[in-house]
Amino acid sequence: METPSTTQDSAHPAAVDQRRSFGERLSSDLRLLPVAAGLIVLFVFFATQSDVFLTSRNLNNLLVQSTVTGIVALGLVFVLLVGEIDLSVAATSGVASVLMSKLVIDAGMPVPAAVALGTLSGVVIGAASGRWVTLMGVPSFVVTLGVGLVLNGIQLVLLPRTGRYNLLNSGVEKIAATNIAGASAWALLIIGLILFAAVRLSTLAARRRAGLTASAVQIIVLPLVIVGGLGTATLLILAQRNGLPMPLILYIGILGVTGYVTTETRFGLYLYAIGNNIEAARRSGIKVERIKITAFAITGGLSAFAGILAASRILGVSVSSGGGIGGGALLLESIAAAVIGGVSLFGGRGRVTGALFGALIIATVSNGLNLMGVANEARLIVTGLLLVIAVSVDRTIEKLAGGAQG
Amino acid sequence: MPSDAIQPILSLRGIHKSFGGVQALTDVSLDLYSGEVVALVGDNGAGKTTLIKSMAGVIRADKGQFFFEGNEVTLSGPAAASDLGIQTVYQDLALCNNLDAVQNIFLGRELTGPWWSGFRVRRADCERKAHEVLQRLRLSGISLTRNVGAMSGGQRQNIAIARSILWQPKVVLLDEPTAALSHTAAEAVGKLIRELASHGLAVLVISHDIHQFVIDVTDRIEVLRLGRKVASFASKQVTGEQVVSAMVGGNEEPAGAR
Ligand SMILES: Nc1ncnc2c1ncn2[C@@H]1O[C@H](COP(=O)(O)OP(=O)(O)OP(=O)(O)O)[C@@H](O)[C@H]1O
Ligand SMILES: [Mg+2]
Repeated sequence: METPSTTQDSAHPAAVDQRRSFGERLSSDLRLLPVAAGLIVLFVFFATQSDVFLTSRNLNNLLVQSTVTGIVALGLVFVLLVGEIDLSVAATSGVASVLMSKLVIDAGMPVPAAVALGTLSGVVIGAASGRWVTLMGVPSFVVTLGVGLVLNGIQLVLLPRTGRYNLLNSGVEKIAATNIAGASAWALLIIGLILFAAVRLSTLAARRRAGLTASAVQIIVLPLVIVGGLGTATLLILAQRNGLPMPLILYIGILGVTGYVTTETRFGLYLYAIGNNIEAARRSGIKVERIKITAFAITGGLSAFAGILAASRILGVSVSSGGGIGGGALLLESIAAAVIGGVSLFGGRGRVTGALFGALIIATVSNGLNLMGVANEARLIVTGLLLVIAVSVDRTIEKLAGGAQG
Repeated sequence: MPSDAIQPILSLRGIHKSFGGVQALTDVSLDLYSGEVVALVGDNGAGKTTLIKSMAGVIRADKGQFFFEGNEVTLSGPAAASDLGIQTVYQDLALCNNLDAVQNIFLGRELTGPWWSGFRVRRADCERKAHEVLQRLRLSGISLTRNVGAMSGGQRQNIAIARSILWQPKVVLLDEPTAALSHTAAEAVGKLIRELASHGLAVLVISHDIHQFVIDVTDRIEVLRLGRKVASFASKQVTGEQVVSAMVGGNEEPAGAR
């Protein structure tokens, strides 16, 4: 290997990177900034409109309310990244929750096994949709629309004559009703932060070993302060009541895992590559079909799990589980959450943390307007407008970034 | 046919290819040597891209033989070609705009951690290696961490070329690398191509820019017309006019040896 001829220092071309415009950075590392700002504005607004809004009890409700939509939205990120969509997520969550209930109530299956099987049913449904989409080359929105209707039908078949399974005292209700308080809650937070720090630390160490520029502040301290601060604040607020609700813990756990998978692993990278340029991905030797099917399976599995969580929270399943026929509010709001959080419907762009913020925004609007005594109609209108604003902001950011992509 | 002491790295003998009724290639033979840059020129539809694709394993020739370092090989697919050390840069570059230079250079061939890490991409190692490759090509001005969608056409072309030589291939095939570039950017790509040859690679490059690029950058010019090889020139001993007249079929030069 010969020596470089350029007079520039042979260290890392950090100087080149600084030329990146603000718009360009806004579209990548700072993409969450506008979404987070929107959430803060909403919080301030509702805090001034209602005394109850910032109470521990209400924030607890708000967070728990956002978990079901949030988990479905996290799942949707996977199919959206590869440039597909799954319109059967709500129906999948409904069928999975009814299946799980049937196994527990009618078949007397232990709850953990029934939850696992219910979730697995979602994985299978998602994989089947994905297989069909990749095999036939048909648009996923049509296939999954059809699958959704099929699942709505199956849900009705699975339900007993009464049209409802009551989950009170079945053991299932314990999932949502469990709270982790006191020392255990702090221990949980610390374990989470240690895992997070470990991942960041290994990044820093690897960069140092490779002789690349590596700022400990940027790679470890700053992220840890932000995540740790948010975690501590949440814990302090919720500790005033019962502690950390189990749905929230599960949600954050899933967020951590999906965040790692999408940003750190080879599979995650391939999701982005396929979503942007499927032909380039294929020519690079990426097994495009397999990755897409896996994405659908993950979406299905997370939707199913979200449905089971919802069933546990409302103590039963019925015709209206999973948003009812057609998916209803659950389907629309989970797609909206992802899009508000900056996940592109055209593939290749977005992050799971965006879906988290999107779900929080939707839950905040719903919760805040509710407290203000505003009717349901207004809630729909505001959420709809937010969605339109969000995609417009997204478009503007893309233009600012100047990335010439469709 | 070269009977010198130097052995060609890649030889094509009597390649035929037809698409339905269209005879795209008829009895084409070609030799590529290490350290040499060969231009493949010809009018639109002459069969240049088809020839490159047959060498890249993307399409199967109907008839003919391929020899790699003297041994006959079957180029049954893109993987077979790249296993031999034949890399191709297509006209559309096949880059992902939402990924940065490092991710594009390694796409499909990432260095990863063990299975229990979920095959975590070893980003730092990839970045180090990408940096080295760019340095070797004297391209250290290219940002490793910017999305390539925000880069200029010339930079994107350079990244696509850097990507093709990552795993030390022996032959690089380029389909119109200068087509969409300004004069200065095309000159830079020309320099880069000479750089590849100076590292001992055999380079085959398609170009329509006869007067500037082909004459200045390459060592030898092979002319295709209507799927047949009609002429072969040493770049230093020929004018643009002579090449063009061979392309369009004016007074024909006898296919001279190298
Ligand atoms: N996949 C295909 N199916 C049918 N015909 C094809 C196919 N690929 C190429 N051809 C035909 O083969 C002939 C040679 O095409 P090729 O693309 O190799 O030309 P070229 O020399 O690269 O031209 P250009 O300068 O326009 O890129 C043309 O007549 C073209 O129409
Ligand atoms: Mg061509």
